[in-house]
Amino acid sequence: MTARVRMAENGAQLVSRLEGRPSLRDIEPNIFPVDSGPRQGDVVEFHGMEGAGKTETLYHLIIRCIMPVQNGGLEVGVVFIDTDYHFDMLRLVSALEGRLAEDLKESDGSENEPEERVRSCLRRLSVVHCNSSVQLLLTLHYLENTFSSQPSVGLLVIDSISAFYWVDRFSGGESTVCQEANLRKCTELLDRLRRNYGIVVFATTHAIMRNYGSDPGVSDVPCSSSSSLLSSSHRWRSAESAADFDKPYLCRAWQRIVTHRMLFTKSPVSKDHKQVFSTACTSIMTKGVKRCSFHVMEDGIKFVCDK
Amino acid sequence: MVILREGICPGINEDFIKALQSEDIRTVEDFVSFNPEELAQKCSLSYKALVAVRRVLLAQCTAFPVSAADLYEELLSSTAILSTGSPSLDKLLDSGLYTGEITELIGSPGSGKTQVCFSVAVNMSHQLKQTVFYIDTRGGVCANRLLQMLQTSTPDMEEQMEALKKIKVFRVFDVFSLLACLQNLRSNGLQKASVGGGSVKALMVDSVSAVLSSMLGGKQNEGMSLMMQVAGEMKMIAKDFNIAVLVTNHVTKDGNGHLKAGLGQSWSHVPRTRVLLQRVENAETPSLRTATLTKSSRQACRLVEEFDLCHWSEERSTSISAKRKLESSKP
Repeated sequence: MTARVRMAENGAQLVSRLEGRPSLRDIEPNIFPVDSGPRQGDVVEFHGMEGAGKTETLYHLIIRCIMPVQNGGLEVGVVFIDTDYHFDMLRLVSALEGRLAEDLKESDGSENEPEERVRSCLRRLSVVHCNSSVQLLLTLHYLENTFSSQPSVGLLVIDSISAFYWVDRFSGGESTVCQEANLRKCTELLDRLRRNYGIVVFATTHAIMRNYGSDPGVSDVPCSSSSSLLSSSHRWRSAESAADFDKPYLCRAWQRIVTHRMLFTKSPVSKDHKQVFSTACTSIMTKGVKRCSFHVMEDGIKFVCDK
Repeated sequence: MVILREGICPGINEDFIKALQSEDIRTVEDFVSFNPEELAQKCSLSYKALVAVRRVLLAQCTAFPVSAADLYEELLSSTAILSTGSPSLDKLLDSGLYTGEITELIGSPGSGKTQVCFSVAVNMSHQLKQTVFYIDTRGGVCANRLLQMLQTSTPDMEEQMEALKKIKVFRVFDVFSLLACLQNLRSNGLQKASVGGGSVKALMVDSVSAVLSSMLGGKQNEGMSLMMQVAGEMKMIAKDFNIAVLVTNHVTKDGNGHLKAGLGQSWSHVPRTRVLLQRVENAETPSLRTATLTKSSRQACRLVEEFDLCHWSEERSTSISAKRKLESSKP
């Protein structure tokens, strides 16, 4: 294997860099604002409490990417970085099988067996497990080679990027700079990757910080609170007044590269045992909030959006 | 952070490290963040050596991507579903405890969490003939009680002793010993156990909140960091060794007066499935309990089943029936 250096690249890398990646703009018009689907180089943050549907939505979007074009997919390669061993392959496959089966009804039966079709979709996805922020950083360096040599990979998913928050915060001691150092380096690297290679990044963050400064009655609440060490930037207003767990707490470098932010909430369980999940998407390109609701069924997500 | 020392990889000697330190590069993360060409100019080190060392360090410390198709094949062959022995609880958990996942049992004091853990352990060691590792943080494990439970399933002394031998109990009373115990298990304990003939399929920690809740609160970051490290160890054990992990936790009330799991928001992301145990009020038999599914990736939440702690393997027809139950589609 020849040494790969940032300054010099061989012909294949040059072509892959200039040619551009497959586009993800129509990945899911239900949840992204109109005409503001993720373009190349966008970073989407999925934020919400546990059980609010972030991982389900991620699987839905990943399935859309890896399915073949004749089934409504985008045939885009995906790299999935799993930082808290949360990746549920069986759930992903059952949702994938559900989607493939429902598309099969519409088209005439193909020659491939369902198993083989699932496997060919899964070949477009690769999974990495990281168990510390240092390993995440080094893995991202390693993945740079993957992105440069495979132009069909268009999406990087990190679930979740906030997994090492507490461990880093403690091991950094008193200095905020030390605490955030690893995440900041990862963010700088992500920034470089998305600018040079045009990949889209989806990252989930757990909602663990309570927004004590917010008043539940007021709708436009600024998220910055001066007392917190890792306080958020001023760009993101609270989309839901009832969501008092949506305070951004990751480092400022991360706040700066996020282009779309999706807040997930779930309704309390209604009488017929059906839970409604909703997302509210804000982006730096458009004003306003795009809201959407969905149910989680056995074969994935069913939207109940009204356009 | 990983500090650069000589011997960390071939090609790094003392002069190399000294040259890097003059540029304030002391850790592996700093080293890989720099472009080798710039470093070669600044530190007067050989470009080839820098590139070679960078490659080796990355190869040593990175995690490698695996194709999802291969991962799926592996999971299909290695995932197992362990029955808990109680048909009601199995229904709630979609046939039982899944290996590779953490399942959480929550309930107020006296709701029966430890008894459920005992019953599940006894079922696994006796019916399923698997070794169970039981980490006891409250001093609640009583061998007599386990024996009593075994005696109801079989009168044969030999079988009872065999089953008791398969339940290995570790007593830890603070979070540091818990971490040490888990790390020990991960590095050699589990392999030894599987080499010795039995296979370990279950790990129980009763209870995880007893050692963690005293470390949380106030401005202590250490407690949160330790909690996430404990979570990380348990997840690695579950995934790498294909083990079903069952933990117990206490309950608190949220803003609306509903019961929720203790240990806060950060812990709530850790388990894959969560079951709430409650006493049945005004029941004729004092050992009746209800189990409610509060978090699951496979079934609709809020399913409720009733069961009797004393008659573990009996099916109980429950008066609270679930309106919707999703069929599992896994082979």
